[in-house]
Parts: sequence; structure tokens; C-alpha cells
Amino acid sequence: MSYEELSHTADVKIRACAPTLEALFGEACGALMQVMYGGDRSGGTEKTIDLDGKDLESLLCDFLSEVLYVTEVDGLVFCRTDVCLDGTHLHAVLDGEPFDHERHNKGTEVKGISYSGMCITRDAKGYMLDILFDV
Amino acid sequence: MLDGVTRAGVNEWEIPVGFVPGMRVPGRFFLSDALAELLEPGAVQQLANVATLPGIVRCSLGMPDIHWGYGFPIGGVAAFSLDEGVISPGGVGFDINCGVRLFTTPLKQADIKKPREFIESLYKAVPTGVGAKSSLKVSPAALTAMMEKGARWAVEAGYGTQRDLARCEEGGCMKQADIRAVSAKARARGIPQGGTLGSGNHFLEIQVVSEIYDETAAKAFGLLKGQICCMIHCGSRGLGHQVCTDHLKTLEEATKKYHIPLPDRQLTCAPIQSPEGKAYFGAMAAAANYAWANRQLIMHAARLQFERMFSIGYESMPLVYDVTHNVAKIEEHTVDGHRVPLCVHRKGATRSFGPGAPDLPRDLAAIGQPVIIPGSMGTSSFVLKGTATAMERTFGSTCHGSGRVMSRSQAKKRMTGKEVADHLLAQGIIVRAPNEAAIADEAPEVYKPSSEVVQVVHDIGLSALVARLSPLGVIKG
Repeated sequence: MSYEELSHTADVKIRACAPTLEALFGEACGALMQVMYGGDRSGGTEKTIDLDGKDLESLLCDFLSEVLYVTEVDGLVFCRTDVCLDGTHLHAVLDGEPFDHERHNKGTEVKGISYSGMCITRDAKGYMLDILFDV
Repeated sequence: MLDGVTRAGVNEWEIPVGFVPGMRVPGRFFLSDALAELLEPGAVQQLANVATLPGIVRCSLGMPDIHWGYGFPIGGVAAFSLDEGVISPGGVGFDINCGVRLFTTPLKQADIKKPREFIESLYKAVPTGVGAKSSLKVSPAALTAMMEKGARWAVEAGYGTQRDLARCEEGGCMKQADIRAVSAKARARGIPQGGTLGSGNHFLEIQVVSEIYDETAAKAFGLLKGQICCMIHCGSRGLGHQVCTDHLKTLEEATKKYHIPLPDRQLTCAPIQSPEGKAYFGAMAAAANYAWANRQLIMHAARLQFERMFSIGYESMPLVYDVTHNVAKIEEHTVDGHRVPLCVHRKGATRSFGPGAPDLPRDLAAIGQPVIIPGSMGTSSFVLKGTATAMERTFGSTCHGSGRVMSRSQAKKRMTGKEVADHLLAQGIIVRAPNEAAIADEAPEVYKPSSEVVQVVHDIGLSALVARLSPLGVIKG
């Protein structure tokens, strides 16, 4: 797990690091699941997400917003995310399981993914993301 | 105080034009010197950013519970001219019409002989926390009616009384709802969640009226010292969140189309009269109506538990009032001596209409609108009344709560949920939540003291104290 929760008074601010952009998107999705459901999550059921964005930030925001929709409406909790990026097209395969009240009622709902303070940077070691989840 | 912010009076501060580039009006916020110590630079920056938006009238306002949010600060109020102004989801938030309602009962504290059993029955009756689904099977047609009629849908379906509607802001329904602007995704999220509380800072709390400050207003609102009442705080659930997400996307395009320069991407907006602006407003109103229906359903479930446990009549539990604190509405206000319609955004702020204002029930016209300010878990909540001062100074607005001062990550490190619950129990307050983290996140210490925030709005006159409500038992989502 290479993400951490930063201090933010009202909402949840996450900093994620990864060697590639694809892995960074996966880390962001993992952080989202952790905040909502805690750490006890397994696989077995796959879900695919395909979408196009205008730029990297909107692609990430749209991707995580789509995950919020899928997790709620399909009642799935994900443990693993594989992302492929091709320009501004995203293809993601998420592995998860049905929501189990006993095991997954450990977190808090995320209401939305905010652009405020969203920042993706790159250095010699790879990529870093700061992102705010409204809870 | 932070560099660049000037004192404008007792409990009053100004952010001059120029604090950030492009400000059209100054920023103004209300804080006591003690609360000013807790002010975050991010919140001031956000208040200044709002002042750059086209058509903003008079100033960008911050209430005493101002804190760092996204887009607008939480506790932010801004009014826009209908001709030149914009509407922004960043000024409403993801949880459209997150709000609070309060109903009273004829019970006294001594009547609740088994408080833990009662809290447990309420916890079972109201679906709570992440992934909780409603037992109500809402049909697509019923969902449409919820979005078009709001609380009225619930009352017509048997979940309340006609009198409840008169005691909701807007009568529990924004007439401008346009369900064509609500996506299939938002609908899919709305279907299973009618009557669910949600999580985070949402709660249902049993309280006792512990102090009356204004006998006349308390009598008009139906509040008596020692009386048991119930407060409900929640919003439009996934439906509202999806409406915000969907329209942020279309409005981002609109922001470019109408050449609106933005200091923060979360402030994406469109002219109020543009097709994109109208679509957001219509969808937002539909989500607001869903939220009013939702709070009505939760109140109904709670009333049934009171009825069952204490053999009291449904009609003996009147709604005091229901206020929204995340919304944009078209309201008439006086600007430079003229009455003008404005689009007032309240993001974590409560309407505080004074005596004689429109939309007040006839029996409260002389008193002013009931303003309900929830405290944090374990601290007092307050009922206030709207004032003429608020009409003059803040477009009829006041604070909405106490405002966080500590992040959730800090809160969890500081105390476990069990420690917080034990600490509250020692004060006679029972807490029931789906998990310990939900309790630790919302410990009383992570918020500004509600009494200090409320004292500031009372002293400035943005609303006036009527009663204090002390918590006895709380259900956290």
C-alpha cells in the first residue's frame, strides 16, 4: 500500500505514490475502497470500466466517480485494480466481491471526488497524487 | 489573523479585493477572536476565490463555522445576480440539501426508562452506515414523485402529516425541479436509499430541551424545557452525489464555453440563465426534493418507534422545522434599496429568515424562521430564530454547525471509538454506530465548541438564541 491519509479538517485527503501512472490510478482506487470499507476485501468478481477523459485529472476524477457509482449500485467492494491508459482512454479491470455488511461496514461513504487540491506530479522515482474525497 | 485580512468590526473580518487576482467584491466573515485562532488559510483562500465569480453581489460571505472545503469554503454564502451571475455546484456541494429537522414529543427524560433499548430500536428502524439499503421498495414512478414533490410525496404516501409540510423550508419542495436533468445513474442510486441515514457526520439524536433563552419564540416553536425531542441530520444520498458529479462535468465545458476564468476547478459554473446552468439548477432542485422526502421518511420511522415504545400519539410529535444547509435558491433580497431576485448559494450555511419574510408559516411570521444548529456528538444543539439583521447583512443566512477543527486521521490517532463512546456514556450519552471508526471520527473534540459558534451568530444578530438541546442518545452513520 503506497498511499497515506494527509491532514484535512473536513474531508479525506490522500497522497498516493507509484512508479507508473497506471499504478497511481490503481492506488487511488485502493485508497477509495479503504476509506469506504476498511482493509478486509477479497476478489472473485470482475468489473470492467472504460472511459475517455479530456486530461489526466479529469480521467482520474471520472474513473473514481465511476467506481463510486459501481460500488454502490452493483454492491461490489474491490480489492485489486488493474488500469491501462492509452492517451486519454482508460481501461480498468477491478476485482472484488459482494458487499458484506459484517466485514465491509468499517468505513465511511465517499460522496464525491473533488478537483480542489488535486495534483499529479512526476519526479525521478515516479508519480505522486494528492486528492480529496468528500465524506 | 492571517496576513492580508483586516478587522471590519467586533467579530467581523474583511478580505480586501486583490487578496487573490480577479476578485470582484471583498470577502467578509464573522468570527470571534478565539475562533479566529482556528481559521485555516485554505478557507480564506476559498472565500476569496468565490469573490472572483461573475455576477456576485455585495461580498463573498463566511459564517462563524467557516472551514476548508472544496470549491466554496464550508460556511460559505454568496448571492448572484440572475442576469450576470453564475450557479456553481461548488457552492452547494456533493450532498445537495444536506439538512436538519427537529421534532418534539410530549415525553420527559424520566419517561425514557430504558434508553439503550430505545436507541437500539431506533438504530434497527433507520438503515445506517455504508452500504445500508432501504426496506422501502421505491418504484421508478415513486422516485420521480419524490424528486418532483419532495416531502409532499412522503406525506401523501402516508409517511407524515400535512402540518409537517408547513414546517419545512420551501414547504419541503423546490418547484423548479427538472427530472429530465437527472441522469439514469442518479436514479439508480436513489431507488434503494430512500429513508437511509448515510454515514460521516449524519446522525439521528434524542435530545432534551435543557435551556430556554426566548420564551415567546420557544412557545411559538412548540419547545418546552425538559421535553424530549429528536433531531435528524442527513441529505440526498447517492442520488444527490451523482447529480453533483454529473453536472460538474457538463458545467466544466460550460465554464470554457462562456469564458469564465476560474481560480479552482471545483468552482466550475455556468450563467444562471444558460441551458447548462438551468439544467444543473433543475437537477439540484430534484435532488433537494429527494432529500426532503428522505428526512420525512426517517422522521416517520423514528415517530413509529416513539409510538411503539411509549404509547404516545403520532400527532403528538410535531415537526418544529426542517432546514437545508447545502443548496442554491432563487430568493428576493434588498440590494441598494431595491428588491431583486438573486441566486443565493449556501454551502454549509442555514437560511435565517427574519420576521415577516416570505415562506414562513403564518403562525411564525411575527417570530422569524426556526434555525436549527446541530452540535457535534456529545455537545449541545441549538434552536435559534431568523432575524432582520441576517436579511440585511447575509442574504438571510447564518451558520450550520460547529465546524471541524481536526482531521479524521488525527481524530483516530487521538482516541479509539470505544474511548470516545465510554467518555460520552460517563456523561449520560449513549452512542450507537456501525463501527468504532465512525465514533472516533466524530468525537466532540474534533469540532469547534458549538456554543461558541452560536454565541457569535447571536451576538452579531445573524440569528437569535431560542433554546439549547442536550444530547441523550445518538445514532451515527
